[in-house]
This record gives sequence, structure tokens and C-alpha cells, in this order.
Amino acid sequence: MGMRFCLRNRLGIKTLANGVGDIVRFENVGMRYRMGTEVLHDVSFALQAGSFQFFTGPSGAGKSSLMRLMYLAHRPSRGSIAMFGRDVSTVPRSELAALRRRIGVVFQDFRLIDHLSALDNVALPLRVAGAKEGQIRDHVAELLRWVGLEGQIDAKPTTLSGGEQQRVAIARAVIARPQILLADEPTGNVDDEIAIRLMYLLEELNKIGTTVVVATHNEGLIERFPHPRFHVEGGLLSGPGIDPPNLELDTAQGTDS
Amino acid sequence: MRRVSDVPLSGDPASRYLPWTVGLLVFLATLAFSVGMFLSTAGETWRQNVSGTLTIQIPAGERAVQAERVDSVIQLLRKTPGIVFVRPIPDAEIAALLEPWLGKQVLGLELPMPDLIDATVGPDAQLDLASLSTRLSQVVPGAVVDDHAVWLRRLTDFAAIAQTISFAVMIVILISAVATVIFTTRTGLAIHSDVVEVLHLIGAQDAYIARQFQSYTLRLAAAGAAIGFALGAAVVWSAQNFGAKMSGGLLPELALEPLQWAALAALPVAAVLLVVFTVGITVKRVLGKMM
Repeated sequence: MGMRFCLRNRLGIKTLANGVGDIVRFENVGMRYRMGTEVLHDVSFALQAGSFQFFTGPSGAGKSSLMRLMYLAHRPSRGSIAMFGRDVSTVPRSELAALRRRIGVVFQDFRLIDHLSALDNVALPLRVAGAKEGQIRDHVAELLRWVGLEGQIDAKPTTLSGGEQQRVAIARAVIARPQILLADEPTGNVDDEIAIRLMYLLEELNKIGTTVVVATHNEGLIERFPHPRFHVEGGLLSGPGIDPPNLELDTAQGTDS
Repeated sequence: MRRVSDVPLSGDPASRYLPWTVGLLVFLATLAFSVGMFLSTAGETWRQNVSGTLTIQIPAGERAVQAERVDSVIQLLRKTPGIVFVRPIPDAEIAALLEPWLGKQVLGLELPMPDLIDATVGPDAQLDLASLSTRLSQVVPGAVVDDHAVWLRRLTDFAAIAQTISFAVMIVILISAVATVIFTTRTGLAIHSDVVEVLHLIGAQDAYIARQFQSYTLRLAAAGAAIGFALGAAVVWSAQNFGAKMSGGLLPELALEPLQWAALAALPVAAVLLVVFTVGITVKRVLGKMM
């Protein structure tokens, strides 16, 4: 479910069958931070709208880097990325903000803003999109009720538990009804019970049409929620429908970028 | 109730002194601008008062022949092409000019005072002063022509240079304000880079983030500029009142026209707008380096 098959063209470079419903599309993507070594090599995959996808792998494998590319925090050093059918390298910078608003992100460390209340944190995506203040409070309060935080609307993040902070982060990620929700190790800072409740929450969002991508190294969680998975290790992506990486080709491409 | 700013800028160490810095710079700019405008007015006044006039000085002599010498000079001047008006300066006026040095009883002292004659030169007249001076010396030996041109030119040149320096100082002060604001803004961006990145990643336009910094800086800069201007204006006002007692003679009245006060009042507004504009540009330039 949700994957596109990876092909190789006559030059041996991986390419993807062009799926009309692809919401994310990576082709031969490499990534490096500044002038450092490449942390992702020849990553190619596609996700269909409405899919639920795990990215697994050990810590430091490149999952977070992959997520950073997907939530448009970083440019690839080579290859191409298309989000919502648009090649992000050709999207003018002024339009990237609008593209980001279609992406909800639950960061690994939640990244809530400490001096703002739960309500103001959740309201941020609406405010940056220019929503009227009169419409924000009721909408946010309703969502906080949905995630079980109706009594913590005015609480500051520092007074909330890890699980509560996580739910505020999820509420912030979905308040603007994004088309895709990216969660980077969302269960890393909470206990198993909360992690399972979070997964049910993400499945609910998926059922109403949101594409969900979860990066995690929690194998127990993946076994309990059987969704398709890609595995990232050493900057290489593997999984159903993805050819084993051509290391010789990867090395050659990695040195000339 | 005012909404809390998304970026927690209040209390930043770098911005704590911004109102004082802006206040001090606006205070200095107000003084520099005032001095510049005063010198501009003074220069113009000197030009209007003295240009186009000659003063002929006839040295004191025996009473019997002095009146005749004065008449001769007046006749010569009236016949000289380009001179449109000739007026002997009465003794009372000369006494008034000397009063600050010799007291009110100048005339009673029976001092040998020179006679002075004012001559007004036509606006487009090309007067040959050397020739006139020679002819006057022939009629009345010792008669001296003072056309004011040399010292007037020095005075107006000095006023122009001082005025330029004043405005240059004002510009340097405003540039200092801009540099301070750039430093403060970049520091604020570095301190709050985590919050700024979150805003950026959830889809905030650069202008939205810039507004956060601009509205905060606007409050600080406006407070500083208001205090700096109030103090500066008070100093100018005091100088104006004090100067009114000193003015007269060569020194024109030390006062700003209503229009000049209006220009002065626009200075803090312009400074605040400059600061806010600088903040916006700085934030957008830094954010422009992000994807």
C-alpha cells in the first residue's frame, strides 16, 4: 500500500514510475550537511496520498535527515524531490511557505515554544497562514479536546508531561489540516502506553485521508501496527519494491556531487 | 488583550539597551540637525543683510571741512553707475553701534568719530570697487571702502562648512543607529533560532517572522526616540531662549522657524521608521539563507 516501484533506466540510475497520486517522490536523492560526507545515498521512493508509511532503522541511520528533506528544511545535494507533484528545486522560495503549510510535522523533541500556552502553540500554523483571531480559539480548543487536553489549554509546555507535550505537538501538526503528517520518532520520549495511544491517533488521522509518515526505531510498535515500512541504514533505503542499492554506482555519484 | 509575541524577544540582553541607544542617538541627531538648520538660517540672514551694500568710512577731521568732505563723497557715490541708494549714517546710529563698548554717553565724550556712509548697489550692477576706491581717495584722502564681500564670503563659507558638518554628523549618527539595530536583530535571531526555525517550518513567510521583530523593536525604538527627541528639543528650546538675549549686531537671532521645528519633529519619526525598516531587511536577509 502506498509505494511505487523503483525501476532502473538504461543508464542504471534508479527512477520511478510516475504515479499520479504520489504525494512524495524522491529520485536518486543524496544529502549532505554543508561540506560533510553524504548522509543519504541515492534514495528513491514514492508515497501515495492517503498512505501510512513507516521509516525504520537504527539511530543515526538517516531517518531524521530523510524527514528533514520531506518537511522542506533542507535541500538535497543531488537528485530530485517532488512534494504534491511539484519539484521542490524549482519552486520559488516565496512559495515554499505555502507548500510547508500542507505538511504537518511532529518533531522528535516536539519543539513547542515554551513561553506560549498550549493553545497558542497549536494556533501557530493558523496564525502564520493569516487566519482571523476570532476563528482560532474555538477551533484550537476543539482540537485540544480531541487529543484529551481540554483542561490544559492555557498551560505552558514546561508544565506538561511528555505525553501531554506530544499531544500538543500533534495538535499543532494537524490543526491546519495538512495533507501529509510527518512524525519523527514521535514515541521516543514517551512510555509504551502513550506511544500506542499516539499510534491510534495517527491511524484515525490516516483514516480521514491524511498521509502519515512515521520515522521510528521502535520495532514493537511496528509489529503492533502493520503498515508498510522502508528501512534506512547507513544512508541507504531498502524495502519492498526498492532494488538493493547499487553500491558501486552510489559511491561514484556520491563523490561527484 | 494583546497577544503574546511568538518570538520571546522581551528581556533579550542585546535589546535591553536599544531604547537608550536609540534615545541617545536621536538626542544627538536632534542637536546636530538643529545646529545645521540654525547655521543655514544664519548664513541666509547674513547674506540678505549685508550683501549688496558698501560702507564708506571717512576718517574724523576738522569740523569745518568734515561736512564738506562727506558731501563730496555722497555726490561721487550718487554719480557712480550701479549705486542706487546713498545714506549718511547719523551720529545717533554710530553711537548706538559703539554703545556696547563705550557706554550710552558716547556723543557726550566728543570723541573724534569717523563718518560712515551706506551705499546700496543694484542687484545686477558690476561695480569696479578698485576704481571707486581710487576715486574716493582722490576726493577725500583716507576714505576707505568696505564692501563686506571678503569677510562675508568667509562667514558664509564657514556657515556652509559647519552646516555640512552638522548634517554629516547627523547622518553618521543615523548610520550608527542602523548598525546597532542590525547587530541587535542578528543577535535576537541567533538567540531565538529554534523558535524562528519552528515558525519557518510550519509555513511562516519571512515577512511574518520579520513583523515579530519589527513590532517589538518599534516599541523599544519609539520609546527611546521620544525621550531622546524630548531632551534634544528641550536643549534646542533653551538655547533658543538663551540665544535671544545674545542676538543682535552680527549674530542673527538663534531661533528655528515653525517649519524647521516641524522638520525637527519628523527626525525621531524618520529614525524609528529607519530602525523598523532595517530590522525587516536584516531578518529577511538572514531568513533568506534558509531553504
